[in-house]
Amino acid sequence: MARTVTITVDGATIQTAEGSSVLDAALEAGICIPNLCHMPSVSPIGACRVCIVEVVDDGRRKMTASCTLGARDGMVVEAHSETVLRARRHIVELIVAEAPNSRAVQDLAARVGVTRSRYPMRDKHCVLCGRCVRVCDEVWQSKSLGFVGRGGDRHVALPFDKRPDLCKRCNSCVEVCPMTITPCPGPMAVPGICGLCESQTSMVENIPDTCVMCELGRGFQCARWQLRGLLAPA
Amino acid sequence: MSRLVEVSDLASCREGLTRERSAWPIRVTLSGGTCGEASGSTGVLKALTTQLHKDGLAEKVHVRVTGCQGFCQEEPLLIVEPLDVLYCNVKSEDVSEIVRESLVNGRVVERLCFVDGASGRTVQRPADLPFFAKQDRELIGHNQSIDPCDIGDYIANGGYSALAHVLTSMSPEAVIEEIRASGLRGRGGGGYPTARKWEQCREASGQERYVICNADEGDPGAYMDRGLLEGNPHSILEGMMIGAYAIGSNQGYVYVRNEYPLAVAHTREAIEQAWDLGLLGERILGTDFSFDVKVARGAGAFVCGESTALMASLEGQVGEPRSKDIHTVERGYLDRPTALNNVETWANVPRIISNGSAWFAGKGTDQSKGTKIFALTGHVKNTGLVEVEMGTTLREIIFDIGGGPQNGKQIKAVQTGGPSGGCLPAALFALPVDYEALSAAGSMMGSGGMVVMDDSACMVDVARYFLKFLKDESCGKCVPCRVGTDRMLEILADFAEGRGTMEQLDTLKDLAWAVGAGSLCALGKTAPNPVLSTLRYFHDEYEAHIRDRRCPAGVCRALARYVIDPDLCADCGQCVEACPHGAILEADVYQIDQTLCEQCGLCAETCVVGAISRV
Amino acid sequence: MELSNVDTILENRGAEPFDIIEVLQDLQGLHGYLPEELLCRVSESFAVPLIEVFRLASFYRAFSLKPRGRHLVTVCLGTACHVRGAPRMLDEVVAQLDVEPGETTEDRAFTLETVNCLGACALGPIVVIDGEYHGDMSPGKLRALLGAVRDGDQAVVASV
Repeated sequence: MARTVTITVDGATIQTAEGSSVLDAALEAGICIPNLCHMPSVSPIGACRVCIVEVVDDGRRKMTASCTLGARDGMVVEAHSETVLRARRHIVELIVAEAPNSRAVQDLAARVGVTRSRYPMRDKHCVLCGRCVRVCDEVWQSKSLGFVGRGGDRHVALPFDKRPDLCKRCNSCVEVCPMTITPCPGPMAVPGICGLCESQTSMVENIPDTCVMCELGRGFQCARWQLRGLLAPA
Repeated sequence: MSRLVEVSDLASCREGLTRERSAWPIRVTLSGGTCGEASGSTGVLKALTTQLHKDGLAEKVHVRVTGCQGFCQEEPLLIVEPLDVLYCNVKSEDVSEIVRESLVNGRVVERLCFVDGASGRTVQRPADLPFFAKQDRELIGHNQSIDPCDIGDYIANGGYSALAHVLTSMSPEAVIEEIRASGLRGRGGGGYPTARKWEQCREASGQERYVICNADEGDPGAYMDRGLLEGNPHSILEGMMIGAYAIGSNQGYVYVRNEYPLAVAHTREAIEQAWDLGLLGERILGTDFSFDVKVARGAGAFVCGESTALMASLEGQVGEPRSKDIHTVERGYLDRPTALNNVETWANVPRIISNGSAWFAGKGTDQSKGTKIFALTGHVKNTGLVEVEMGTTLREIIFDIGGGPQNGKQIKAVQTGGPSGGCLPAALFALPVDYEALSAAGSMMGSGGMVVMDDSACMVDVARYFLKFLKDESCGKCVPCRVGTDRMLEILADFAEGRGTMEQLDTLKDLAWAVGAGSLCALGKTAPNPVLSTLRYFHDEYEAHIRDRRCPAGVCRALARYVIDPDLCADCGQCVEACPHGAILEADVYQIDQTLCEQCGLCAETCVVGAISRV
Repeated sequence: MELSNVDTILENRGAEPFDIIEVLQDLQGLHGYLPEELLCRVSESFAVPLIEVFRLASFYRAFSLKPRGRHLVTVCLGTACHVRGAPRMLDEVVAQLDVEPGETTEDRAFTLETVNCLGACALGPIVVIDGEYHGDMSPGKLRALLGAVRDGDQAVVASV
């Protein structure tokens, strides 16, 4: 069995198994590091980079994604330093401009304090988080869909756009998709970011980094939802 | 040659090979690397062989086809020994004259010799070539005396003696210490100390370990690794064997990009010959060391030059990098300890062992030791592979070796380090080639591409070019790299096409920072460098594009306009045929329809009287 | 499609994990592209899910999922070629063949591709036609070259 180690996240001491993901450890301890492509029970890929943190080692700071970062004893992590926040906001700004029509993405924007995007809005239906790909592969051992192409052409697809025999029609790929968790009707209609999340946005403006009870958190039994009794424990 | 069973066999084998070689009365060396072949060396070789047979000289004259010798623009090069004369740009038609004059009569064919542009002097001896004279050709110089498909040449030139020395009289730890003392750092760009990498790999837990040679040289404008692998593959194999011995590995891989078919073929041939001689396989030279190497062909993906992506590709997967929080020296190929080094790094290893670490450490600067090969290309008189001691200034490379600008233009900048590097302005040409000095200036050593640009290059266009490259070559896995490069490109396109705003310039700077800070792998982390360095040194060009809607170099098409001067026009109509867009109208006088014109400039190039100009 | 060749390639493959990529390269070389049925065979032969094979074929530039023309024109867009005028070479080919990079002409005579560097930078700009390197190109030389290849192609097609 893995050794228990002690790490520090934003000044709070957390005990967790050695090598387990820092993001998981923080979320379990109720410290919210915003994230998107992360999903409990499937392996992390570090694709969205929303959960980036700084690891402070001997005065040197290194930025890396917390989902793919294995906990080591004595590790000091800062998830909300000025540098991290600046980078994370910009990354979320990029994501929200790609696919503003998702409530999950909008929540994420509100959570990190992004209220406008400097980039022309696009209307993509996929942010390439790879949740569907991993749930198909790892949970259902199905490997029916995957990332196809590279760079700007990268997209999720079935081989030759045909449903392979391996597919069990379990529909998990659809269920875990952040784009299908409560689609967001507002943003493409109005310039800027969603007009329906004002309460969230104002909350974050007053109390930076506060929990906005995001759709992703509800979908994946985030500790905060459980703590507030809004969700039965899994 | 018979199999080498013991260490002493190597020395006797070398003696025999040297004797054989000294008996060749006349030697002709023809460079037949990719540059040579592209310039017609195959035809020259065919003509030469035919001519020698016809004249009954086939027995007397030994012809050696080598890899790239470095002076690529003058290819194919042909050297005649013992006459010691170098001919440039040799064509099949020249062969009979060379055979008659130089091989039979021992006379120099002056018209085929290199003429030094600066002095107007004809250069006969290869060593006197100004291009070679100012270099320190420790690695690339051997290409001249080695047929890459003949292991005998390599052994006759002292090859595999470093391996024999290591296997018989050095412990693995002593090898690592020797490399540490030499100060060798990774030649792929990052400059990580090689000995530290080997030591970490040696100490990592695990039964199997691997050594990998990264020959996925994807940087556009860089081909040093091709030059080495094509021209002297055994030096890389020997380096890998020594490294494998040091870290305790029995299996190596050479990962070569498939755009280098000749390098693939020569490496495969070299491995086969090494096997036949017993230099690869079980119990090499009668010692306890066993080792094998396999060649893996890349399939066309720049990102596979990144170590974790390369290993994913070796594992038969798509080349997507993974987080490096656990280093590849601990968990690399197949999750086992792996030491991956660049071609040039491996090639340095046997020379360090043979000549001693002090010899190597005696060259270069405080932090950067030895020599470095650069691919000098672009707007400069002499282009080719240039090997210099670390610490040589950019000016010496560009002006003394490269011969300065072409056609009397002004050199404006040099791009080093490929898409991960940056553009350095002429004002900084006093900078030495040194890992730290180049990084501090906002570029990087990179693998060694050095593209010189004169005032006909637009720096916004160069930044745009690299961003387009990176957008295409990004694996697309992480958001900052995939979306960030796309958005940077979008902004640069706005600049280049006259839609830019100063606010976008601020966004671009902020975004460049975020992409560098947030990306997963080195490709993304360094992707903003071309933008950041051009912003830093050529801010005025950006402002000209944004504020004045003007491209000072006249490169950005949307900001240019072509017109025909009716007074100069000869009414020949060639421009009408040349125009791919049907934009030239035949009325009383020829005119360009600006709504159809795509500003490609083909008409101006076609016009014999120079009546078409860009305004 | 000659199955015997495909069988030979599949049977003679090595045992390293990267041999799946080697096999795909050999098959690409054999057919000029990777049709669906071939990828299915590779998937079966290696016991790898089809999506993984499909991903490889779509990720690496060396592979093409669409048939290529009888002649392959590759324009190098490396940095050295770029600053020496490669974009104009590309314009010329696009204009001559009336196809965009990655596409094949309607008569299947030519496929146009671009490459990000061939490592023959000193000779730029470079255009490769059917594996033969042509250095120091200009739009005029290129036009003549393409014309010659087209004439040769038409002669061959006519004689069949």
